[in-house]
Order: sequence, then structure tokens, then C-alpha cells
Amino acid sequence: MPSAPLLLSQAFNGLALGTLLALVSSGLTIILGTLGVLNFAHGALFMLGAYAIYVVAAYSGSFVVGLIAGAAFMLVVGVLLERVLIRWFYHRPPEDQILVTFGAGIVLVEAVRAIFGGESQHVSAPAWGEGVAQIGFLIYPLYRLELIGIVACLLFVLYLVLYRTSVGLVVRAGIEDARMVGILGINVRRAFLLVFAIGVVAAGVSGMLYAPIVSVDPDMGSTFLVESFVVIVIGGLGSYPGAVVGGIIAGEILSITSAFNSAYSEVMLYAVMALLLVLRPQGLFGSEGRV
Amino acid sequence: MNRAGSRALPELVLAAVLIVAPFVMPHIGGSLDFLQRVLNWGLFGIGFDLLFGAAGLLSFGQAAFYGTGGFVSAWLLVNNIIGSVWVALLIGTLVGGLFGLIIGWLAVRRIGIYFAMITLAFGQMAYFLENSPLSAYTGGENGLPGVPVPSVGELRIPPGRPMYWLLAAFFFVGFVLARRILHSPFGMVLRAIKENTRRTALVGHSVPAYKLAVFVIAALYSALAGGLLGVFQSYMPPDAFSLDTSGQLVVQTVIGGVGTLIGPTVGAAVWLYLRDNLQLIPGIGALWKLILGLLFVVLVVGLKRGIAGEIRFLFGRRRGVAEAGVPEEIGVAADMPPPLVELPMDAPLISARPDAPALRAIDVAKHYGGLRAVDGVSFEVRTGSIHAVIGPNGAGKTTLFRMLKDEITPTSGEVLLFGRRITGLGATRTAQLGIGKSNQLNQLFLELTVADNLRIAALARRRGTFRADVLRGASSIAVVERQVEAVLRTIGLEHRAAIPANVLPYGEKRRLEIGIALATGPTVLLLDEPLAGMSPAERIATRALIHEIGRLRTLVIVEHDMDAIFELAERITVLYEGRLLADGSPEEIQRNQAVQDAYLGGLHEHEPA
Amino acid sequence: MRQSMRLHAMRRRRVLELGLGVAGGLALPSVPTLAAADHPPVGTWPAGAAGDSVMIGITTPLTGPYSADGKDEQLGYELAIAEINAGGATAQQWGLKGKGVLGKQLRYKLADSETKPNVAVQAQTQFIQTDKAIMITGCVSSATAVALEQLAQREKVLNMVGASGSNDTTGKDCQRYAFRSQPSAYMACKALAPVVIKAFGQGVKAAYLVPDYTYGHSVFGSFTESVSKAGWTVSTQQVVPLGTSDFSSALLNIANSGAQVFVNVAFGADAVASTKQAQQFGVTKKMKMVVPNISSFQAKEVGAELMQGVYGTFDFWWTMQDRYPLAKAFVQAFLAKNKYYPRWGAHIGYAQTYVWAVAVERAGSFYPVDVIKTLEASKSQPFDSTLGKVWYRAEDHQLVRPVPVVIGRAPSAMKNPDDFYDVVEIVPGEQVISPPDMFGCHLGAYT
Repeated sequence: MPSAPLLLSQAFNGLALGTLLALVSSGLTIILGTLGVLNFAHGALFMLGAYAIYVVAAYSGSFVVGLIAGAAFMLVVGVLLERVLIRWFYHRPPEDQILVTFGAGIVLVEAVRAIFGGESQHVSAPAWGEGVAQIGFLIYPLYRLELIGIVACLLFVLYLVLYRTSVGLVVRAGIEDARMVGILGINVRRAFLLVFAIGVVAAGVSGMLYAPIVSVDPDMGSTFLVESFVVIVIGGLGSYPGAVVGGIIAGEILSITSAFNSAYSEVMLYAVMALLLVLRPQGLFGSEGRV
Repeated sequence: MNRAGSRALPELVLAAVLIVAPFVMPHIGGSLDFLQRVLNWGLFGIGFDLLFGAAGLLSFGQAAFYGTGGFVSAWLLVNNIIGSVWVALLIGTLVGGLFGLIIGWLAVRRIGIYFAMITLAFGQMAYFLENSPLSAYTGGENGLPGVPVPSVGELRIPPGRPMYWLLAAFFFVGFVLARRILHSPFGMVLRAIKENTRRTALVGHSVPAYKLAVFVIAALYSALAGGLLGVFQSYMPPDAFSLDTSGQLVVQTVIGGVGTLIGPTVGAAVWLYLRDNLQLIPGIGALWKLILGLLFVVLVVGLKRGIAGEIRFLFGRRRGVAEAGVPEEIGVAADMPPPLVELPMDAPLISARPDAPALRAIDVAKHYGGLRAVDGVSFEVRTGSIHAVIGPNGAGKTTLFRMLKDEITPTSGEVLLFGRRITGLGATRTAQLGIGKSNQLNQLFLELTVADNLRIAALARRRGTFRADVLRGASSIAVVERQVEAVLRTIGLEHRAAIPANVLPYGEKRRLEIGIALATGPTVLLLDEPLAGMSPAERIATRALIHEIGRLRTLVIVEHDMDAIFELAERITVLYEGRLLADGSPEEIQRNQAVQDAYLGGLHEHEPA
Repeated sequence: MRQSMRLHAMRRRRVLELGLGVAGGLALPSVPTLAAADHPPVGTWPAGAAGDSVMIGITTPLTGPYSADGKDEQLGYELAIAEINAGGATAQQWGLKGKGVLGKQLRYKLADSETKPNVAVQAQTQFIQTDKAIMITGCVSSATAVALEQLAQREKVLNMVGASGSNDTTGKDCQRYAFRSQPSAYMACKALAPVVIKAFGQGVKAAYLVPDYTYGHSVFGSFTESVSKAGWTVSTQQVVPLGTSDFSSALLNIANSGAQVFVNVAFGADAVASTKQAQQFGVTKKMKMVVPNISSFQAKEVGAELMQGVYGTFDFWWTMQDRYPLAKAFVQAFLAKNKYYPRWGAHIGYAQTYVWAVAVERAGSFYPVDVIKTLEASKSQPFDSTLGKVWYRAEDHQLVRPVPVVIGRAPSAMKNPDDFYDVVEIVPGEQVISPPDMFGCHLGAYT
């Protein structure tokens, strides 16, 4: 039985891990919840974000500049992807959407490998994130502590954009009845484009924030794609609050389990997901009617 | 060629290809091993194609069953627990199927996007289980080397050509079986689920049961293929469980052609051939995957049918033109034949008590949050009568209708069918109890023929909510065929029987919509705006049809065409803003002042036309 | 002990006798009465050796998690094959005569194994069936190594194992047709233990991060056993699934374990992520880090700062060129061709190809049984290699070779961008190799 301070440390770590998982899932949830498209290229876009900050930070030497330029780059990627590929698929069955994004993911991963090679690239944590914080018995990396705040802000901003601006309203109305919104003279196409691009930027930014922590290599995205799926299944399909709560629950499961035996943490996550599917198939925040 | 011969043509061609391939392949740059792998992926893919191609369920977790079947068989053999390879393969296949039953039970509760996510997540779970907690049995990331080859009596089946024949035999049997499944009543229901899940449930098929069944079938195929993988290369690799395996299966199936059964095999051949040969071209090397990824995206965007699918389409179009005439010739049938109503399969499945009303709604209400769509409505439908429900738009007619069939469950109140409570049973059970329904918006199986549309409905009443009759022919049940022909005659679409529903003109689609409801052999038939969108000529014909049906069945109609209502209905229920306004004979309703004020006023207010 | 000495003596005498019976370099260590052409066919022989060139089947991961190491390995193979075919000075130094091997040019086909054992097996089966490959080689994981060993034994085609550190490769999964050159986990840990004990002292508490797979557990077992004599204890063992990207929970446990030394067994991308995160959790500041088997590009991937002062072992580090002339030839040729210093993946590919070529020329035939017997008898006539004199142990086909123990350099001391490590000690293979029966090796049949 682990000691109480260690358990508390792990509980805190679960929260930190969970907020990061929530951010990673948010990009997927935004596109899924508003456009109804399950983006299998999500993991690849996460990876692309990490490479974006790697390149820019290497040239500029600044993490923040990398973050901003990287986000701009991801916006361009998102717009291109939507214009060239995704927009032809809004009216095709969900299975086709899954297939095309799955294919796009393969292409992105292999293109990055062709350019940068298979080895892991180095992205340093920003200067303001270096060091270790000691709070009582808790030893925790400064960067991760700061990330909790940064991620919370980002998630809040995303919430405002999606639920408190006209863009979000238009998109959500457009999902219900695209023709009606069109008749009202609102440019649905542009709103769809915007939402897709926001989702891609969210995926990319989470990749950038993760870059100093994990190994930045072409295959880094697949783990996060799967974990995002689990978070969304737990939280409820397309529910934004669901993604946040689901992320934190997943983080706590992973962390608390490893206080006892870390070999079982992943398996425990899937077990909880299976249990939830039995008890509440629509997920914690999902409504029964959707999808 | 005779019919039986042409129906077995794919099997004959396949057998010929399988026999010739090992002799031809070495001369065109391939190896026996290549063929064996293609067949292994192909067998794996047949199951997946039944799941995805036939039933429309896109799973990203098939590797879980491929790996389970493979590792269970390999573990039994490597540890000498089972001596016979055949028995080990059988056990592995069954365990894989059992695992499929568990995962499927969890996954088929959700559809489309959710289904893909859940299967992918469980696939990953299986991968983790294999790699970590169960590594003492599975060898973890090393897998299980040393899987023995099978033997028949004293005769070993060594690697090389004998092993190829073994795999080819399994593949051939797997293919023939899958084709039987696809063309059985069971397979017909699977295709119906893919085409229109809601309508399939509405006519009385238990959609979750069929989905679970096909999921288990796909798992059995996967597990057998996994077992054979270990046997033919005498090594069971851990990557059988990996996400890439599931992904590659999906990719190969799409390239080869979804819903063709042979597609996954064609796709595997293309994928493996290109992978092996692209990377040998100087300068390509690791770029092979990028090139194939791009090819895949182009295929998904452009050639939606895949290679085998395109071939079948071209072939089928040529033959279709010869047999069924040019689809463009179909116009609006102005000269509709007089209705000739004969409905053989009308044995009510619920014992009709002559004293009880056919349908009775008791204080039913449906609330959506604060919105009271239907608010405490009670009325009776007398057995054998034509009963109309009218009211302005937004009065709650459609919601009430859906509660009568229990498509949606009322917030409060209940519905009785011949005195038996049906509330809470769901639309599938009520269909089985004899409530048929045609919808306001057409709910057809668009890609299927007119006859198949009706057959799906007729099968439901005949076979119950679920039956795994995977080996009999879809059109081999005489009573169902009689029903289909009777309904075809009744709705005047005999000459359209072999044509896909999506090429019918609108009026004929409307009739087919009613026909599907009729084909279930209902005792109570609900018609939601049957005349909507019809031309005047079609309206007259359809009114005559409804009148004829009404002589044999209890009918409940929602309709805006007041002339039709007052001509047809024996009793009318009027809804207004979710509440019952009046209930009586047409004369009583016509005289009712409240109806005139509220309904007609409301009509002028709400109706655009 | 006495018995094994007598065995050695007997073997040496037998080899000497065989050598006497045959003239010149065309020594046939096995069944000297038969000329090679009279043997019944075995595997791809004689079909694969009939033409004026022979084919080598190579699989390395070019996509997937180990693709960087795979690419490095590929370049090593390509360099060796080019040198052997050209028959230049380096090839002569290795002991080869003329161009090619026994006058035959080497062809090769290289397939991407995608870091999956199954794909490697598939590709090599094709090379064997279609191209009559006379030798197969290449991998970056023990899982693939074991799978290919099994294939080699079944198909009776020689397999010079690529990068693989698991004890099982020459232990319970060893095969007659497979030879491994990389030090086993046991050898690496045995070599490393005295160095770290000397550096950190007796009775140290150590925390372990162990990836949950056979290789991880075998390194953990070998290392703890090697340091237990010095009174080292395990303060915590964190087992994590393979392919984990966030190690925070495990590292939190390690940070709170009160250990003085952090032993990180993770490999590849897992090693990169866990090392970066260990630093962020303050683990590397509080504890000394030991990496029993350092991944090829780890220092470049996490930055030299992080690897400074870290102890570990390698198959090969390029500064060993100062010690061995053949290593110098290899490193310089590789650098000139590929513009970076080779890592140990490249070294394995390069050296394995040469050792095989030399063995074939000594056997005087591509007949696999003769080549195997020559390799098995190499103790009496060691190969001159990039690692000095090396030889294969007959009992388990493990290369007896020196093991370099290294320590990460300070970034300020680096003379070029690849100058990450100092070689602290090169431990002779005989000192650290496991007893031959320790890991349950039973070699299969020759034919």
C-alpha cells in the first residue's frame, strides 16, 4: 500500500495529466461535436504541431515565438486540409469521413518522416518552465505546473469561441439544418471551415505544449489519438465539457493505478471505459439522441 | 449458362484462380509466400467485409480477434497442451468468437463514429493485454515461435505448396460460406441495416442482435485467420494485435472494394505487391508508405467502389442494361393499375379480442424539456375501422403516431394494442405484434431492389426479431415470396420489382413506402401522410388503395388532405397544440364549433398552402 | 571448469587436424572427405550460390518507432557490401581476397520491416523463396531477431542477427543458423556494474524504470544481479507498458523513492521521453543516471546536457576508432559517405556482413553448414574486426567481444556534433560473458 503523501502526489499528477489529455482531446471533440466528423488524422496533426514548434523554436530560439508561429502554421494546415479534402465529405457517410482522415494521417506521418527522418527531435522547455517546484511533500516539474494554468486558459477560450460567439452558434445550427441556415443568408461554409481549422489548431497547440515533455518523432501521435478516443468515449461524444471531465478522469485512473502498479495503468483505463459503456453507453455528458 | 451456374460463377472463377496461382505466380515475380499472405489477409478480410461491407459497421479493432485466435491456438500448440493443430485452430477460433461476443456486446450499442472509436480502443486494450499482463503466456513482444504444422493422419502438411493448398482450401470454404451468408435472409437483413438502420428496426428486425451476430461472425473469421497465420509461418507475431493490423485491413478492403467479399483479398494483393516492389526502386525506400497513403486517399475520394467494386459495377451495369431495361425509361406512372388487394400473411400475432379496441391511447404525453409536444391524449381506434388523426402543423400528430408504435416512449401514459400494453416495448417488438407504419418522409432501402425492399419487411414478420438462418437462400421462403408478390401487385409495382428503389419516380417511392409497411403483414397499419407530395392522379389511385386496405385492416391515418380524410375515415381525432380537441365521426367533427374555430383558424395561420 | 577446458582443448585439436588435411585457404572444417558440391541441397544452397553473385536479404525498420536506428543500420550494410564488392584495402585488412566473396559479387535487397516482426519474417521469406538469399540479416529489436532466427532455422538459411540485446536471442531462442554480435543484456550489465560500483560506491539504493517486455525484464534481472554483490538494493521498480509517452506517474514514484541512482532501462522513443521527463521531475539532479543499453541516437535526441555524466554501454562507439584500425577504417569511410559518425546500428550491420564474408571465404564455400562450423570454430582463429579479435562461442552463437562502457561528455568538451561520450573502459568479452547454459540455449540441427 503506497503512503498517503505518495497517493496525494499521484492524485495531483492525475489532475495535471488529465488537463493535458483534455487539451489533446479538445481538438478532436470540437470537430466531432460541431461538424460530426471523426478526425482520424488527429494524432498526425498533434505530431505536426510538435514538429512546427521544433522548427520555429530551433530558428528563433524562443518557445513563445514557436508557439505563435506554430499555431499560425497549423491554421494554414487546417484551412488547406478542409478546402482540399474534408469539405467534400460533409455529406458522405461517417465511414467515408473516417477513411479519408485516416488516410490523411498516414500521409502526414510519412511526409514528416521523409523530411525529418525517423529520429526523435529535441524541443527544450521554455526558460520560464525549467526547474522543479517543491510544494510541501509534492515534487513537481515547474513546466507541468504552468501547463495546468495555460491549458485551463486555452480550454476556457475555446469554450468562449464555440459557445459564446456567433461562429459556434452558426455551426451548431448548421449541423441541425444546413439548408435553413443557408437560406437565412449565413455563410455556413465559412463557419465550417473556421471550426475545422480551430480544431486543427487545438490539436497542433497541444502537440506543441507536449513537445518538451515527450519524444518528438513521426509516430508520436498514435498513442494520443487512442487516448483521445478513450477520453471522448468516457466524456460523451462531441461534448466539450465531457472532454474536459473525461480527460481528468482518465488522468486520475492512469496516475492512481500507477501508485500501486504502473504496468496495469493502461489496462485499467480500458476497463473503466468498458464499465462505463455498460452503465452509461452515451458517456458521462453525452445525450442519448446524438449519433 | 443456366441460373444455378451463373450464380456459382464467382466460386468457379475463384477456384480456378486458386488452383492456377501457385504455378503462375513464380513467373510474374511473386512467391508462394506472397500468395499465402494474400490469402491469410483475404480470409481475415472476408469477415471484415461482412461486417463493414454488408452491415456497414466500420471496426478499427479487428486485430483483437486476429491476435486472440492466433495466440490461443499457438499457445495451446507450443506448450503441447493440444496435440492436434486442427483442434487448436478450432479452440482459437471459438475463443476469438467469444471475445468478439463480449466486445461486440459493448460496441454495437453505439453506431457509426462511436462504433469505430470503441472498437479501436478495445483493439488497443487487447494489444496492451497481450504485451504486458499476459506476456507470460503470449511471449510479450517476442510472440510465440515454433508453432507446429498440421497433419492429416500420418501425413504432415509442410511449408511450401502443401501449406498453400491448405490455406487456399480454408479461404475457398470461407468465401463460399460468406457468400451464402450474404445471400441468406440473415444477409438480407444485414444489407438492410446498412441501407437504413431505422427502417430495419421499424419493420421488426432486432438490429442490435443482427449487428452482434455479424460482429461475432467477423471475429470468428479473424480468429481463424490469426490461427492460420501462426501455423503457416510457424511463428505467431505480436504485431497481429497492433492497431496497424486493423488499419491495414481497413485500407486493403477499401482499395480492393467494400462489400464484394473478394475485395479485401484484391486489396491485400495490391498493397503487399506495391509495398514489396516500391521500396526496391532506388530512391523510394521508406517513401513507399507515403506513396501508398496518397493512393489510398485518392481512392477514398475518387473511386468509391474500390478495384473489385468497380469491376463488378461495370460488369453489373452491362448485364443490368440487358436484363432490366434502361433505368432512364422509367417515368411517372400515370396509368396506375386499379388496386388489387390481397394480403396472404395476415395472421395476427396477437390474439385479437373482439371486444377490445385495436389501439387505445390512455393519457399519453411526450415532453421535451419544457416543450409539451403531446400533452395527455386519450382515444380509441376500433378494430377494422379507418381512423384519421388531423390537426394543424405542430399539433403533435407525428409525435403521437410514433408513440402509438412505441418508436418513442411516452413521458407518461400508455398505449394498448388489443388490450395489451405495448408502451416500452420499442418499435421492433410492436412491429412483431402487428403494427405496421409508413412514414411521412420515405424510409426506403434505396440501393436495394423494390422486391428486396418488400422482402426485408416480409421476412421480419415471418422470422421474428432475429434468426441466424445463414445458409438458406434469401428468396427461398415460399410464404415470404407470396407476400412480396402480393404486395407488389397491390401497390402496382410488379414491373419495377428488379429495379433499385433509388431510380423510382417520387410517386412510386411513396407507394413503396406504404408497401413496406403492408409487407410486414400488419393487423394495424399507421400511415403518416400517405398522400404527401403526390400528383392528383396518384392521389386518386392511392386513396382507392387505402380504401381497399381499410377493408381488411385497421388503419390509422395522419393526413392534411381533408377531402381524402372525410371520404375515407370512419372516425376522426383532432389534435391541437398537443391536446385532444375533438374525437368523433366525420359528421360530428364537421359540425364541431371548437374544431372549426381552432383548427381551421390554425390551419390558415400555419399552413403555407 | 576442468571439463570445459578439456573441451576447448579437444575442439582446438580437432580444428587443427582439419586444417592439416586441407591445402591453403580453402579449408573445409566439416566433413573434409566431401567436396562442397557433393552435399545434398540445404536451404537456398546451392541454387543461391550458383551464379556469379549471391544475394543477401536485409530487413530494417524504415518506418515505425525504430526507423532512425533502422536507417543507420541500413547505411552500415550498404557500406560493407560496397567495400567487399570493390575489394579495396579495408576488405583485405579484414582478410578477404579479391573482389566480392569467393569471387562472387554481393547483391542485396532491403525491405522495410516497419518495426514489426511479422513484416520482417514476410520480407525475408520472400527473399529466400524468390531471390534465393544465401544469408539474411537485420533488425532493431529482439522480437524481430527471435522471429528471424526461427525463420532461418526452418528455412536453413544463415542469419547474422542485427541489433538485439535480449539474453533470449542467444539463450532460449538461440538457433543453429543464427549468430548474434551485440553484447547480451547480461554482458552489458556485467561490464557496466564494476564501473558504476566504482563510481557510486557500495550499498547504493537504486530506482528502476523498466519497460514491460522481455528485454526490459532481462536487463533489470541482469543488472540487479550484477550490482547486488556490492550491496545495491532496489528502492523501487516501475514497470511501464511499452510505447508509453507520459511517464509522470512512474517518475513521481521514483522521485519519492529516496534512491541515489536512477537506472533507466527504456529504449528508443521511450528512452527519449522518459529521460526528458526524468530531468523535469528533478530526478537527474537528485540521482545519478545509468542507462544499461543506450539507444543509438539518444544523446542527440535528448541533448548532450541531459546525458552528461550518464553511465551506460554500447555495442560500439565511434571513438573506439582510436583503438582498433578496422574501426578507424569503418568510421572514416562511413563519415565520408554519410556525413555523420556511425552509431552502433550501422556498426552491427557493417561488422556482421564482414564477419560473414570472412567466414565464407575461410569455409571456402557458401554451403551453410560449412559456414556455421567455421563460425563455431572461430575461437581458435578469431576474426580481426572493428572490435579487435572476436570469435563466436560454439555453444550459443554469442560473439565474444569487448564491451565498451561509456559516460556522457559535458557539452563544452564536445569536439564535433556527434562527440557525446567518453569510453571509460573496454571490458574484455571473456570476463563478462554468461555461462553458455545460463539462458537455456539448445541449438537446433545443422540440416
